[in-house]
Amino acid sequence: MNNGNILKGPLGILLLIVSAGVAIAAFAYAMMDLMAVGHRSFNTSSQMPWGQPIATYLYFALASSGLGMIAALPLVFGFKQFYPLAKRSIYLAFIILISGMAVLAMELGHVFRMLWVMPLNMQIQSAMFWMGVFYIADLLFLLWKFQKMEGKEWDSKTSRQIGIASFLAVLLASGNLALIFGMMSMRPFWFDGLMPIYFYLTAVASGLAAVVFFTYLAYGFNRSAMPAPMRAMFAGSLPRLFAAVLGGTVLFIAVRAITGLYTNNPEIYLVWRDYLFASPVYQASLWLGIVVPFVIMLIAGLRANAGIQVLVSMAVFAGLFAERYFFVVGGQVVPLFRGTWEWGLIEYTPSLTEWALTIMGSAMLFALYAAGERFLNLSAMPDDLPAASGREATA
Amino acid sequence: MTKWGMVIDLDKCTGCQACTTACAMENNTLPGENWQDVLFYHEGTYPTAKLTWLPRPCMQCENPSCVTVCPTRATYKDMDAGGIVFVDWNKCIGCKYCMIACPYGVRFYADEQPVVEPDVRDVFPGEGQLWAPPYQSPESDARRGIGIQPKGVVSKCTFCYHKVSQAPEGVADLDEDNPETKEYVPACVRTCPPKARYFGDLDNPESEVNRLIADQRGVRLRDHTGNRPQVYYLGSGADVPAYNPPSDS
Repeated sequence: MNNGNILKGPLGILLLIVSAGVAIAAFAYAMMDLMAVGHRSFNTSSQMPWGQPIATYLYFALASSGLGMIAALPLVFGFKQFYPLAKRSIYLAFIILISGMAVLAMELGHVFRMLWVMPLNMQIQSAMFWMGVFYIADLLFLLWKFQKMEGKEWDSKTSRQIGIASFLAVLLASGNLALIFGMMSMRPFWFDGLMPIYFYLTAVASGLAAVVFFTYLAYGFNRSAMPAPMRAMFAGSLPRLFAAVLGGTVLFIAVRAITGLYTNNPEIYLVWRDYLFASPVYQASLWLGIVVPFVIMLIAGLRANAGIQVLVSMAVFAGLFAERYFFVVGGQVVPLFRGTWEWGLIEYTPSLTEWALTIMGSAMLFALYAAGERFLNLSAMPDDLPAASGREATA
Repeated sequence: MTKWGMVIDLDKCTGCQACTTACAMENNTLPGENWQDVLFYHEGTYPTAKLTWLPRPCMQCENPSCVTVCPTRATYKDMDAGGIVFVDWNKCIGCKYCMIACPYGVRFYADEQPVVEPDVRDVFPGEGQLWAPPYQSPESDARRGIGIQPKGVVSKCTFCYHKVSQAPEGVADLDEDNPETKEYVPACVRTCPPKARYFGDLDNPESEVNRLIADQRGVRLRDHTGNRPQVYYLGSGADVPAYNPPSDS
């Protein structure tokens, strides 16, 4: 099944070594800084407590949830044309969540204390408590589901039940993660009951970007090297799903931007006007990372092209990372009290240590991915899958 | 049951920051870690421009949003301690969610970049704590966030619980002018030169703080948040102007 997977050869080893090296170097750099001066090495402050490491965790956690949802298409909802993505999606969901958690662990003041204080104190009123519960459940179900796939149990009763449980865990985890922000009425930029829907949509978008990119990477960006059902999926249903999800993302951002700019509440419209739209980086990430990829994927002649799909996946990857960053920081840039310490919007630029954590998480993801491609068969799919099933339906 | 409350008369407050300094000395806070601060604002343009200011301690809310978001119960409201909101430094994991959830911006993660140089944490380095200032308050209670804080935790105003808790039981007001209670008065109240601050039991109908709130129409800051502060403001100026960036002024 894995003929053509270049990562099973020396290139895979090279990717594994290089990305593991980068991850270790970034970890060592961040660790040295944290040991030497603590969180002084971050550019966050008491006025801006959550910075890029939190945005990175959010991005990874949601990409993981998106991958879990994509895997649910064949495993829960019976869209068989997506089976070629299922196993790789589950694996990617697992490792991207682990990578995100590693970044979060470096951001917290006392990560090991968390392990015993949270279960012993059971603060069930806190969304962050439930984030721990749901993401641990998510991790366990992903692992269990993957183990079933390793045993070629694609459609057994237990496998389906675990698939459903895993899907529910994904929904709960990412929906609850959205509420961590969405329930904060004192932070009007975030306060939004529909935040879980926004997170679901963008989670699937980033998950699709991840699985498209990593699948192409496994086959040396050469679609003809892929198994036939996978080729059919990339030529038919997948790009259409990608276009639809990007469209939903564009729509959601547009609605949030329009309502945000329309309101008289300075804690919302100033974020859009003076922070987001005033930033060339945000503008670039929005237009080049989300809107243009959507337009490209709308054009039938372009969306099926392998090179275009890779480019779009990379652009969306970057665009949604920026979207998470600006979302997290944007909710805090208007000071709660304009006063002695803050006359204007709070300024924040990530420090080198914070960048090191983002690089560490990303490199960790690549290293674990390369190891997965090397030692596991991530392209596995049911043997009886028809090659042309990709043309049957869209999600 | 005692419910400690503070009343701040903005018509008396001169914005001298004596309260801020006294708080920092009493609680060994770092520069910028202002559990008690006076925020200065300017409003309007010539000829109607005005300068105004607002003293801002922790509001010790009756319904504190910081408590419910804390995933470890490190932040808690202690009804046996007059309803003061504390941070248990032995439980805090430094996730900073409480700082996000506080509508008043009165929580601090002092393990951050210094606001002034030289960094006093380097000048007076501490072991197991953020720093070791030359004078350290003899009072220490990590379970209530009192003393020199360790690394990686959130800190906040405790209404000087280490002093307030020593007050005679059932006392209605802690007044710095009363020799019998002056030692138990929070540092910011005791030091206030124009006597703009009052501290007492909100559950005691005889207390001066209740009389002031009733007679002078005390208001609570950002009451629309539903947090119901135990700090009340008198006089003009408690209506903090909406955020307006310098570019729009």
